Amino acid sequence: MFPMHFQLLQACLLLLACLTTLVVGTSNSSTSTGEHAANFFGRHDSTSGHTNNWAVLVCASRYWFNYRHMANALGMYRTVKRLGIPDSNIILMLADDVACNTRNKFAGSVYAEAGRRLDLYGENIEVDYRGYEVTVENFIRLLTGRVDPSMPRSKRLLTDDRSNIFVYMTGHGGNEFLKFQDQEEISAFDIADAFEQMWQKKRYNEILFMIDTCQANTMYSQFYSPNILSTGSSEIGENSYSYENDNDIGVSVIDSYTHYVLKFMEGINKTSQTSMQDLFNSYDPVKIHSHPGIGSDLFHRPLDKALITDFFGGVAQAEVFPSQEDACLIGHHESGSTSLPFAPESGAPSLPVVTSPSTLTVEMHVWDSQWKEVRKWFSVFVVGCLVSWVSFVR
Amino acid sequence: MDEGTVLPVLVCFRLLLAVLPLPGQHILKHDHQINSPLTSYLRLKEGLWMLDNNVDPYMGGSFHHSPLLLSVFSTILPPIPIIWAVSDAVGAWALLRIWRARQGLSLHRATTSTAESLIVSAYILNPYLLFPSLALSTSTFENSFTLLTLMFASEGKPSSALLAIAFTINLSPYSILLLLPILMLLVTSPASQLASPRPFHGSINRIASLFGEFMLYWLVLVGAACIIADGSWSWMKASWGASLTLPDLTPNPGLWWYFFTEMFDHFRPFFLMVFSVHLVIYILPVCIKFQHDPLYAAFLLIGVLGTFKAYLTLADPGLFLSMISLFPEVHGYLRHPIVTTLLHLHAALLLPLQHILWVSEGRGNANFYYAASLVMGMAGGAGLVDACWAGMRIALGDVKVESEGKGQVARWEVARWEVAQE
Repeated sequence: MFPMHFQLLQACLLLLACLTTLVVGTSNSSTSTGEHAANFFGRHDSTSGHTNNWAVLVCASRYWFNYRHMANALGMYRTVKRLGIPDSNIILMLADDVACNTRNKFAGSVYAEAGRRLDLYGENIEVDYRGYEVTVENFIRLLTGRVDPSMPRSKRLLTDDRSNIFVYMTGHGGNEFLKFQDQEEISAFDIADAFEQMWQKKRYNEILFMIDTCQANTMYSQFYSPNILSTGSSEIGENSYSYENDNDIGVSVIDSYTHYVLKFMEGINKTSQTSMQDLFNSYDPVKIHSHPGIGSDLFHRPLDKALITDFFGGVAQAEVFPSQEDACLIGHHESGSTSLPFAPESGAPSLPVVTSPSTLTVEMHVWDSQWKEVRKWFSVFVVGCLVSWVSFVR
Repeated sequence: MDEGTVLPVLVCFRLLLAVLPLPGQHILKHDHQINSPLTSYLRLKEGLWMLDNNVDPYMGGSFHHSPLLLSVFSTILPPIPIIWAVSDAVGAWALLRIWRARQGLSLHRATTSTAESLIVSAYILNPYLLFPSLALSTSTFENSFTLLTLMFASEGKPSSALLAIAFTINLSPYSILLLLPILMLLVTSPASQLASPRPFHGSINRIASLFGEFMLYWLVLVGAACIIADGSWSWMKASWGASLTLPDLTPNPGLWWYFFTEMFDHFRPFFLMVFSVHLVIYILPVCIKFQHDPLYAAFLLIGVLGTFKAYLTLADPGLFLSMISLFPEVHGYLRHPIVTTLLHLHAALLLPLQHILWVSEGRGNANFYYAASLVMGMAGGAGLVDACWAGMRIALGDVKVESEGKGQVARWEVARWEVAQE
């Protein structure tokens, strides 16, 4: 009787020990993260302040002999996808009558160079507006967001005030107009007004407007909204020329200006720190056979600080905060930030140092590491004690 | 081959399989038929890694194992395949001891009979149990602990049995179904009473005191789990709550996941309750009907678990099928063993096939796979119903034979039964 009571007492004490350990929890004060979010998302001096990237690629021509305009747009599409903008953020408007044209000897393929090494059409491109949907009205509605409620999400430009948009247009154009599919024209004023509506509705952070047509520079001469960087392939009174023909396809396969831009882009990858100024410096009017122009009066950042990947890539920018132990360093925010997997070997970007001693910690999800070993072994010890007690005593 | 060496040979074979670098292990670890989110080795490793890096493993929603596994595998044992082989060996040994207890044989015999060799082979070589064990799924431990519980209960060691079932319930909460038969078994004997049913003759008071002891052990284990979980209760919601609230709808051979993929949120709590109650309602009827033979009641409830559990893997019907070998007295009364076998064969072939068609190749869809798991459910149900029927039918006895020609047959049947009783 007495030994059984003693054993029961032992059991109860053990239980009590376990329950008291239960009650002892750890508590840590979580610090305010609002300040850090504000610091992170605030607009810095020469960083873009954008959080997402969109691309609108428009080929405004149709018919077989405008093969090169289709190849222009598809080449830009491929570049932009390669640099990280997902299909959900790309609006591709093509007449799309080239790849499966009966005159196409290489059915289902679109090439942009004479040797036909790289098929731009491929198997997984997403054309959002094709054929007769590529109209001026659809383009303006897309930009301003005034689309029919039945328009699916994949065909809408769902940008916000932190989106950088790359707008590329190609086709046949002239002095302040661009021809859409041989039926209608869009004027420079229309696009300027559309961009102003986007600015008023906070639908963009920055726009890069690139256009490859004859007399292209006139198309951006009427813009009046802020934060737009424009570039075109030829001045007023100049034609833009194609680059080369492919003898088996039988038509010109790429335009000169776009060819050299794409060639420049082949040297860019997602972690590249190349700036827009480098792209503009690479323009060679002799090779392109026309004078490309740059419209940066509405663009308030210095061009050598505007990265190519700000517009062409879908790159996320990460800032690394030091952990709580060395958070007592007091410094100032350095401008610039690093892409996540990139170890900077050129240029200025460095780790910004936080001003306040509090950092982002999610304490409630962190198990206390100091006592972790103790806890592990103690729980194993408890279980072992129970097992041995049961086997040998009872 | 000398019959006494079957168990050691099989154990060596199993250890060999654990030690050799087999080619398909990567595929096995990812296979959904033998791993569920509650038992998968990959998730166990993930939880151990998170523990090493001071992150709460239960916050992510991917780790549903018990904290006791965390503490054991991060301190005294590394999660290597030998552990699973040893667990298999322990399960086979426990099955053998249950058999000997049921037959009234002495527990530590030197030689084994053919029946015992078959029983041990039925556990170690059962593909439903071997593949999950090779895939390092923790269902092996659940099965071993269940068999240890039954072993200690059959041998009349109450504390050990209650501790073992406390461990089992900590690992897999649905094993609570087995608590009542274990308690009944502890106060009666494991010997086969199927042929002669009589009212339950154990003492209810003793059952109550045993239940109290079980609660004590269970609370201590819960306390040990809370110690490693830093005093928080979140692990309960993640590990036990996963069986009740079904947060993870990974496809498995069970019957629950498909329902809940297409369930409106509005109805989810109701149907979760229905499915859970569906398991629990089997306890009382089975225990009342088989009150004369609680081991058989436990066997039937293992069959219920093996068909209707939340996150089913092949290891659960595997245990049921292996345990059929413990009850040769009912084999003659099974009405459709061939049907059950064929259904299991169909299911075992269709399940991986439809899974690959749906998930890897994209040519099928979820309905194909669910149809295969319905076949699995039918196989489990057929086995369960047949075992239930045979357990009751044996009590009615054989039809009396008149002519001399048939008398021969009757005598042979009785003689076979006597051999099994040796």
